[in-house]
Amino acid sequence: MSVFRKHKSIVDRAASDRSRHKKKIEKAIKESIKDVIAEESIIGQNGKKKIRIPVRGLREYRFVYGNNENNKSVGSGGDHSLKKGQKIGKKRGEQAAGQGAGKASDQKGDEYYDVEVTLEELAEYLFNDLELPDLEKKQFRFVSHETIKRKGYRFKGIRPRLSKKETLKRKIRRQKIAEKVGTHDPESDERFPFHKDDLKYHHIKPKIKENSSAVIFFLMDVSGSMSQERKFLARSFFFLLYQFLNHKYDQVEVVFISHSTHANRVSEDDFFRVGTHGGTIISSCLDLELDIVEKEFHPNSWNIYSFYCGDGENWSSDNEKCLDLFKEIKEISQLTGYCEINEHYRGLGDEIDKDDVFHGTPWHTFSAWKNEEMDNLWSKLNPICDNKFKRIMIGEPEHIWRAFHGLFGGKTS
Amino acid sequence: MSAWTEADLLHWDEKILHVAEDLGLDWHPIDYEIIDYQEMIGAMAYVGLPTHYRHWSYGKEYERTHTLYNMGQRGLPYEMIINSNPSIAYLMRENPLYIHLLTMAHCVGHSDFFKNNRMFADTNPNNIIDSFKSASKYVRKLIEDPSIGIDRVETILDAAHSIKYQVPRFVGIAYKTTEEIIKAEKKKMDSDPSYTTNLAKMPLEPEYNLLRFIAEHSKHLKEWERNLLLIVEESSKYFIPQALTKIMNEGWACTIHYKIINELNLPDNLHLPFIKLHNQVVRPHLGEINPYHLGYKLFEKLIEEHGFEEAKTIREVHNDITFLRFYLDEEFMRQMNYFSYSFKKEKKSLTIDDVSDNAGWADVRDELIQNSGLNRIPIVYIEEIEKDNTLALKHEHDGRDLDLRYAEKVFNYIRTLWGDNVKLISLVENEIWEF
Repeated sequence: MSVFRKHKSIVDRAASDRSRHKKKIEKAIKESIKDVIAEESIIGQNGKKKIRIPVRGLREYRFVYGNNENNKSVGSGGDHSLKKGQKIGKKRGEQAAGQGAGKASDQKGDEYYDVEVTLEELAEYLFNDLELPDLEKKQFRFVSHETIKRKGYRFKGIRPRLSKKETLKRKIRRQKIAEKVGTHDPESDERFPFHKDDLKYHHIKPKIKENSSAVIFFLMDVSGSMSQERKFLARSFFFLLYQFLNHKYDQVEVVFISHSTHANRVSEDDFFRVGTHGGTIISSCLDLELDIVEKEFHPNSWNIYSFYCGDGENWSSDNEKCLDLFKEIKEISQLTGYCEINEHYRGLGDEIDKDDVFHGTPWHTFSAWKNEEMDNLWSKLNPICDNKFKRIMIGEPEHIWRAFHGLFGGKTS
Repeated sequence: MSAWTEADLLHWDEKILHVAEDLGLDWHPIDYEIIDYQEMIGAMAYVGLPTHYRHWSYGKEYERTHTLYNMGQRGLPYEMIINSNPSIAYLMRENPLYIHLLTMAHCVGHSDFFKNNRMFADTNPNNIIDSFKSASKYVRKLIEDPSIGIDRVETILDAAHSIKYQVPRFVGIAYKTTEEIIKAEKKKMDSDPSYTTNLAKMPLEPEYNLLRFIAEHSKHLKEWERNLLLIVEESSKYFIPQALTKIMNEGWACTIHYKIINELNLPDNLHLPFIKLHNQVVRPHLGEINPYHLGYKLFEKLIEEHGFEEAKTIREVHNDITFLRFYLDEEFMRQMNYFSYSFKKEKKSLTIDDVSDNAGWADVRDELIQNSGLNRIPIVYIEEIEKDNTLALKHEHDGRDLDLRYAEKVFNYIRTLWGDNVKLISLVENEIWEF
């Protein structure tokens, strides 16, 4: 005779191993992030878009045979007539013998272990240890939304807010009293019904959630010298920035400005997509930013962040003006970032001190500076660089994440 | 949906066991746990064991099963049974009655196999649950110990798991400590003056039990680390016989459930869905080997040719490799339409190497055997401890090369455990390869 037992455990026994596994995934995601953020496909996507991140380090390795010719598999051919030498598909377990064959051999079952996350989740992983600097409580604050909160009980209310617990408590109290005074006999089968006076309702109060408001200026060079590659780096950088700010703020205004010899305020789509042409006058976009700030975003009520991204090849006569305008912008902004895209920087990364990338002296190997005999914007900006004005240099996709950490602190990993 | 009661289960259980007795089967009593699908996924993650030590890989297994199940890509197993006494098996509450009947009859088959097959002679069904329980307690103690903690425990378990199948594959041969081997060799030399051996060599004979050997001979492992290796080795010992007999075990259980259910005279509303389910379980999988199908068909053939009593002897003495080697013949191979295939570089495609015709069936059989049981897992053994305490390992090359990327990772894990130099010799494309 067998025994049948209803399982009594309610505890999820795998819980601790699962949370440990989850931690490992998160760690692995962080490690592979720099490959992911440089993926063209994520740029311009909204937060709900799912991205596949290949996770390394979660495979369980053991000795297995390789996929070489001497390692043969055996399978059932069903009703098919098969011939020696016949081709049956590309991958093991896929379409063998002409029809769906189910899963592949389990030899290395977890070879492709991808995790799907949304951009929002990715931002969570990425940005948690980064900080927006100097977020000040500004004079006028946004009322971002109203929530309602339960607070106490009332005798009057609408049906949906009935508190069953409180109502029952009152009924029980009344019943006990009735038993004591003898109007109700607990032994009898007589019902003790609810009374209208038992009913209690939740009381609710509106709660206003206040939020600091921020406006971000994205300034990008779209002149002819911005090659496809440079533009891609700039876009990647801005995209990451955009995700970051969206993640940190409930309410964020973004102003996109692209410029060649003159500047235009453009839509998000155009900003990330439009092609390049023309010469470069950087001051044009700085002028436009100050103009917009004056009209729409008073520094008393707005946290202002400004980020410029270009290849640094400016009309040399414009550099002095740029310096003045950058100074002005720095005054009104919480943080100003100047990002230079230069593929000549590529490969130098290992030889130079990391901190130099952000604050140090420029390198003479960069063509942009050579031609200008040091009279370039990067070195012009030297005197104003500090915690509120940061310079960064990006040469290849890998630098983006590092540059990002340079801007917002956190550890460069 | 599932209109059945515990009384139904008890009612049919009695009948099932009655038929099993008539068939002359001999099984451990079975305890069925009735669980819901989430508990089933939980039980699966720990291969059915009611207690198991903690490791993140089981969490990963849980998540994977859960995802695949939710996406509808994978159903949950109908049966899962532990080789213990009493046997512990699971019934999923959501399943209808006919699935339970098939599962219960199937479990009798497994339990009978566990109790009688020679490969399971060294498993310890009376104590296995307790031994997993104490291992689990021990690991928890280490994790909670502030001087050790989960990270260090995982370092050792991750490494140990990478060689958990590098244990002897033969049943009935006990592990000998170095002292025991030396004592035996000395005795041999004393009794036979012409016999010589180099007693300084270590180990004297190739050692296949990597976990045990490293636990005993590493100069750097701490006591608790050695114990962890032995815990992993202990649980491997439990799984090895099951890996050695997957085809036979499933084939036998399918044979038994089919025989039993047909004796029950089920009403049509149970019998018809049962037949459908049975056919689904033992159907061939295109391009793969379905062990349920192969085992069931081969037992069916053997019972036809030699009778049920002979089949019972076969379930006692064989493992998958000898079972296939002995009983696969041309006619059967043709009937199953098995073929072998591999990836051919010049054709950039999977290509059929051999089909089960007059010329090819024996090759296909050999390749099938190479892919059965533990033959799918490379053998790596300890050759010698060389100077500077270098651990020399060798891969027993059988024509198939190792996957080098994986091998290198495992190699590093072994180095972590051994603490001194390690080397591993293998063949890659007919050249000697040293890690």
